[in-house]
Amino acid sequence: MLTDRITPSALGTRALLGFATLILLGVAAATPAQADIKIGFQVPLTGPAATDGKSAQIAGEMAIEDINAAGGVLGQKLQLVTYDDQAKSDQAIFTANKLIGEDGVKLVVNGSYSASGRAAAPVFQKAGVVMIAAYGVHPDITRAGDYMFRLVHLGPPQGAATALYIGKMLGLKKISTITMDNDYGQATMDGFLEAAPKYGIEVLNKYSYSLKDRQFGSIVASVKRDNPDGVYATGYFFTGGPLVAQLRAAGITVPIVGSQAFDSEKFIEIAGPAAEGTYIIDSFDRDRKDEALQKFFNGFKERAGYAPEGVAAITYSAVKLMADGIKRANSAEPDKVRDALAATKDFPLLEGSMNGFNSLHEMIMPIHVNEIKDGKFKPAGEVGDLNAFAPPEK
Amino acid sequence: MYYIDLAVTGISFGCMYAMMSVGLTLVYGLLRILHVAHAAVFALGAYATVLAANATGSIVLGFVAALIVTPLFGMAIYRLLYEPLLSYRPDVPMIASVGLLVLMQDAFRIVFGEQGVTFRRNAFSFTTFEVAGVTISAVQIAIVVTAAIVFLGLHLFTTRTRIGVGWRATVSKPRIAASFGIDPIKVRYLNFAIGSALAAVAGGLVALLNNLVDPAIGFVVSYKALAIIVLGGLGSVRGTLLASLVLGLVEAYGTIFIGAWLDRDAIAFLALIILLMIRPQGFMGARAA
Repeated sequence: MLTDRITPSALGTRALLGFATLILLGVAAATPAQADIKIGFQVPLTGPAATDGKSAQIAGEMAIEDINAAGGVLGQKLQLVTYDDQAKSDQAIFTANKLIGEDGVKLVVNGSYSASGRAAAPVFQKAGVVMIAAYGVHPDITRAGDYMFRLVHLGPPQGAATALYIGKMLGLKKISTITMDNDYGQATMDGFLEAAPKYGIEVLNKYSYSLKDRQFGSIVASVKRDNPDGVYATGYFFTGGPLVAQLRAAGITVPIVGSQAFDSEKFIEIAGPAAEGTYIIDSFDRDRKDEALQKFFNGFKERAGYAPEGVAAITYSAVKLMADGIKRANSAEPDKVRDALAATKDFPLLEGSMNGFNSLHEMIMPIHVNEIKDGKFKPAGEVGDLNAFAPPEK
Repeated sequence: MYYIDLAVTGISFGCMYAMMSVGLTLVYGLLRILHVAHAAVFALGAYATVLAANATGSIVLGFVAALIVTPLFGMAIYRLLYEPLLSYRPDVPMIASVGLLVLMQDAFRIVFGEQGVTFRRNAFSFTTFEVAGVTISAVQIAIVVTAAIVFLGLHLFTTRTRIGVGWRATVSKPRIAASFGIDPIKVRYLNFAIGSALAAVAGGLVALLNNLVDPAIGFVVSYKALAIIVLGGLGSVRGTLLASLVLGLVEAYGTIFIGAWLDRDAIAFLALIILLMIRPQGFMGARAA
């Protein structure tokens, strides 16, 4: 069933359409029984982002099961309508239109990358569909309109918090920066570079690499020559792992600070002993004494075969928040859910309690930092000065 | 020391590229097919090395496994994909080749997981030596030494053995070679077996260097190796070796000057465009009449 949705051939689509129409007619003719509340769900299940997509999918399904096991919302069950968007804009628009037109979905969780969320946001906004972007960091997502919400810190605020953490909390002043040259990597680095002077940080040299790259020999040699107090790198765990391993292999022993998407058990596996002493900004606190978190952590591990990373945790929380919005709105009408979500206050995400949303529906929440110690994520403080990394307002 | 560090990096990049691209050059020289799926062979080599090394606890056995699996896979590609299409225009097998690469990438993802695989015990990846202030990693040494042995061996094979000479003859003058009793079909299999084995070794070494083999590992090979064989002068092994080294060094030194604005790939392709504008036929290509 799911595979039908994921790769519909032209003929399959038509058949599916006809079938859907029949069912709709049948349903209309029958009694309007208590229908499930559908939550549209876009995740990248194939293509280069499939690693995160798979995690997001498992987490999303777990959230739905947990909600339904606890009796659903407003006496109704929630139902996830999942589409593969391949983390591509065109596929995101295509599946957004399917969600709206074919599935009649009014509430959506986008568990995909920026390219998807950014493309889907205007489509949903226009149709009056509420969307929560779980971890898509492009600024345009929330700018699309008031039906859009984001559950992750934007790149520039994360970068600004990083500057505070490195300059003030770690007290490192001479920094070499390494930027992954996609939207996320660059936006985050821009935020860092802008805030760095405030904390007395001098940027010795800036380097950039491509998302596809795993060999950093020349950057490593250059960082070695810079002889910095610390290194700040943006990237994903699959670029960060080899990068940190190669920096350490060259005898660079200073602290390395990585961006949020380093956050994965796989990072530690790839970098091995070299991962020790790496700080990860906006990484989620796995040890937090929280029943829901521990239950999720174990359940996910059992199901996926690997420990959940930040992407999984936030996608789970996004679905939970949507359910909470419906409950507080006392209705699944998108306008009411939107207003309820906008009024969110101190909602417990798996990562900790979020303060709420600002006028642009950007999440307000302190930024947690982890350090890798003995091959494990260990809490290494929190950037709690919310004004130092305030997201843009409307 | 900084410049020597970069030279070490550049040369090891270059040796890696050479081992990745020679297989492509060999196939192009013999059949005039752009063997894009060579990247999948490379990826298979990397996976085989890691998985076999983890299963046996020996990295050497990992490489042995890769050297058994990939030549078979390479020859199977020839037999099942290219041979039935040889009578068509060369772009037909090329498109089939692209198709196979895409298919294999997803196959790797489905079979071995999205997250990729890493060596379980691999102190090798994290071993480095300091020689007069220059840092050289064990993997870099392994790359350069392996490349030297492999290409010396290839040279001896093609100049000192009957089958090797026959191979070379078939590439340059197929009809005359055939009249001397050399079986052109055998040569084709040999060609795919050797090219694939080289890619497998490169794949295993890259796996060691990154300590990560993910489904996208072949991606870089698919476009960079193509660029290298064009720069070398299509079909020329010597040109490919030279182009590999030049590209490796350009990437390494390029970061000093433009590293803040352009990544390694962009620097490489900028150099490629400039070099091809100066020498459109590539380093060793015949000048068009």
